[in-house]
Amino acid sequence: MAPQDWMEAEKQGAVSHAFSPYTDNGGTSLAIAGEDFCLVAADTRQSEGYSINSRYAPKAYKFSNGAVLATSGMHADGHTLAKRLEQRLEWYEHNHGKKMSVGAMAQMLSTILYQKRFFPYYTFNILGGLDEHGKGAIYTYDPVGSHEREGWRAAGSGGSLVQPFLDNQIGHKHQQSPQVPITLEKALKVAKDAFSGAAERDIYTGDMAELFIITKDGVHVEQYPLKRD
Amino acid sequence: MSIMQYNGGCLVGMKGKNCVAIASDRRFGVQALGLSTNFQRMFSVNNRLYYGLAGLGTDVQTLSEKFRMSVNMYNLKEERDIAPTTFASLVSSTLYERRFGPYFSEPVIVGLEKDDTPFICAMDLIGCINFAKDFVVTGTSSEQLYGMCEALWEPDLEPEDLFETISQAMLNAVDRDALSGWGAVVHVITPTQVITRTLKGRMD
Repeated sequence: MAPQDWMEAEKQGAVSHAFSPYTDNGGTSLAIAGEDFCLVAADTRQSEGYSINSRYAPKAYKFSNGAVLATSGMHADGHTLAKRLEQRLEWYEHNHGKKMSVGAMAQMLSTILYQKRFFPYYTFNILGGLDEHGKGAIYTYDPVGSHEREGWRAAGSGGSLVQPFLDNQIGHKHQQSPQVPITLEKALKVAKDAFSGAAERDIYTGDMAELFIITKDGVHVEQYPLKRD
Repeated sequence: MSIMQYNGGCLVGMKGKNCVAIASDRRFGVQALGLSTNFQRMFSVNNRLYYGLAGLGTDVQTLSEKFRMSVNMYNLKEERDIAPTTFASLVSSTLYERRFGPYFSEPVIVGLEKDDTPFICAMDLIGCINFAKDFVVTGTSSEQLYGMCEALWEPDLEPEDLFETISQAMLNAVDRDALSGWGAVVHVITPTQVITRTLKGRMD
């Protein structure tokens, strides 16, 4: 608690020691949608308070339809959500005889999240993949399913550090660069620099970043080591 | 609703090669209501030392007046300009004097020492000094500024490049904070001159 909050923290009377079903495991995730690729990345540190639970607890999950979900917030909820999504993907394939498109999966994730509107999944999700035209697509969510398709997004404890950098480098905001679509090479460079920066200043981000590169040829995973302090 | 987020606003200071820069936004508001697009939160001590104050607007104004008085008295008594490290200590003591009923303001100080060495520092609201080697940030968009500075800053930037770097850091960071923005001002201080520029940015 910061010094400026100490004055407001004084509370008289009964003290509550209720069990909280939620915890914050920290970490940063990001996604960038390109013309013919999609990059989804998340760091692998799992924390609780000032402790590190694990240096390698991935929070980005690959699915059988080529989509990748990056979660942040509570790891247990993110992991369980990914399990349920994969189950629904399997049912869909059996019932419809084809793999679920990323757009359909995006809508489905929204309804799955809203179904727990009164006991939410404590996750800040970013779903990435290729749309039906082969273009990169990312969808961002709040914990209860509000979603929108975007070109780039950062989430998690380091989200506020990374998002303006993505606005500047991917969205060319406050720049007069020619409006060429972002290349995979540039996106990877920006993502890695973003994680390095976040790892410097955010205590919950570090150890390693896993970058999922989605193209028409499949999903390729790259590991990028980060500071371990 | 934290008192430090009542009026909004932010500052960033950076070190360059034989130069320093300080930038602030210009918004003053009361929670969601924006009131002014030219609120001054950066002040000059002399032509080699500038500082800024983020946080509660009334404390920004009161502290700047207190520092103006203290520095004027220093100049009269000492018959010399105050050094950056000395001014930083002055600011720190003034804030710690109110340890149990603080001013809700967090300063950023940038300047050139007597031998033209760049100096920057920042403090919390009770005067703990952070002597940084690279950049300092404060205000409601401090996290966004940290992210931008960490990615864009590199050592030994020339004044023109330092200006571009600090400007991009400020403009992109405040666009992700509802309580900051509505214009921006940058001062670049070199041994020979101070160049002040007003940035064109989003006014929403």
